[in-house]
Amino acid sequence: MNPAEKVSESPMTEPQREPRAEPASSPRPTIAVAEGQAKATRGRTHRDVGTVRLEGLHAYYGSNHAVRGVDLVFDPNEVTAIIGPSGCGKSTMVRCINRMHEEIPSARAEGKVVLDQIDLYNSAIDVVAVRRSIGMVFQKPNPFPTMSIVDNVTAGLRLTGAPRSEMKERAQDALQSAGLWDEVKDRLNNAGDGLSGGQQQRLCIARALAVDPEVLLMDEPCSALDPVGTLRIEELISQLRERVTIVIVTHNMQQAARVADTTAFMLNGEMVEVGQTEKMFTNPDDDRTEQYVTGKFG
Amino acid sequence: MHEKTRVQYREDLANLEQRGLEGLDMVVTVLDRTLEATQHADIELAELVIADDDRLDGRYLEVHQELITMLATQSPVATDLRLISALLHVMHGIERMGDQCVNIAKLIPITGNEPPADEEMQKRISMMGKQCRALINQAKRAFADRDLEMARDLVRQDDVVDNLNRECFRIAIEIGDDPDRREWAMTMLLAARSLERIGDNAVDIGEQVAYVVTGLFREFEDASHPGEVATVEAQP
Repeated sequence: MNPAEKVSESPMTEPQREPRAEPASSPRPTIAVAEGQAKATRGRTHRDVGTVRLEGLHAYYGSNHAVRGVDLVFDPNEVTAIIGPSGCGKSTMVRCINRMHEEIPSARAEGKVVLDQIDLYNSAIDVVAVRRSIGMVFQKPNPFPTMSIVDNVTAGLRLTGAPRSEMKERAQDALQSAGLWDEVKDRLNNAGDGLSGGQQQRLCIARALAVDPEVLLMDEPCSALDPVGTLRIEELISQLRERVTIVIVTHNMQQAARVADTTAFMLNGEMVEVGQTEKMFTNPDDDRTEQYVTGKFG
Repeated sequence: MHEKTRVQYREDLANLEQRGLEGLDMVVTVLDRTLEATQHADIELAELVIADDDRLDGRYLEVHQELITMLATQSPVATDLRLISALLHVMHGIERMGDQCVNIAKLIPITGNEPPADEEMQKRISMMGKQCRALINQAKRAFADRDLEMARDLVRQDDVVDNLNRECFRIAIEIGDDPDRREWAMTMLLAARSLERIGDNAVDIGEQVAYVVTGLFREFEDASHPGEVATVEAQP
């Protein structure tokens, strides 16, 4: 496991963020207000929180300039796919969104990542809170091997100090949202790593959803899964788009075509073209996009 | 990173396009025979045209099937996808043009051995045939070269066919009282109509050229709104 992945499993605490321009008497931190709105709109097709904006984002590994000035907006209610050849900086860019990039020694990022008006790179921002609001799922499912299924799901919740009485209900809600409930409801206390690869990945999604994130980053979430497991995750993505903003990095262009509303093509650290998925795969504007999606290089 | 990939797929697609467009050469051959049979009331040649249509249909089915296989197995996108979509239309057009030739060939025995032909009408049908031939060749070249201007010019060329068709109609109306001559003229009007349709099929191929090149589907001329150019965006 690389150091960055470990971070996602590190203890999470309550968010401590800069208050937004709210009435001074507002008793709740801004981020909590935003979450409240998200809950209120759940089940409807439109959310107005969970917008991520990248402004002039640069990322480096030592002297390696991996992401070169990306400006991009991830809309709530939308699935955005990031495609591009290996080493083009797409994973790095996504890792900058929840500030995991900086956990790698010698890595740094410049520019802005803004979640609903909150600059995530502001020095007053608690990194742990960022990662609670912006969950992440990785290529290889990484459930906590020594924990039961239900403990895996509530791991993040327990660290946020959520009341014990709510745990069971929220675990069930997360497992249902991740499409795993029916398969595990009779063995919630079994070990998480006893599940199939696809189930483990959905368990990780349930774990991410349990803390009620606004954004879910998925870095090649299906590349270790079989075709059926892959389709389950894709189905899940389209169901979850109403609940969280989804950003998915994928090597599988057909997957991007199937699940994403918007597709962004990166090359050599630069954002070449961003557009509606349908347009990107039928009539892209940029010749390099055309070359890539038709498989002329890669 | 920019090394050549999918070489086999690319070759297969290029090859498939070539074989599809060869269908247009086949149509030209069939059309030549049809015109000759019409000109000389050659019933034997007309029968050959009818029998030979199976070859054209065979090419249509073969290329069509391979295009579908390519869609299923290669997941083509962008220009490749538009090319395959366009080729499916072109193959359909080829099959239709072949059928129009068969329609004309079937009329020849009806007109009999020494029909009471009207020279003016015969001349115009012959001109229509030649113009259609030129249209088909131009459509093929425009497609192969992805030449948008050449494709658009097909509309202008097709106007010649349409005008000749209208003239044939006028001649048929004014042909006089002789029942045999009137029957001949009415039958020939059906042939003229078939040629007029072939011209339209060639224009349709031009529209597909525009789709491959621009990604927009444009009807060069919209029959329901003459004089206007209809544009249907291929994307939302």
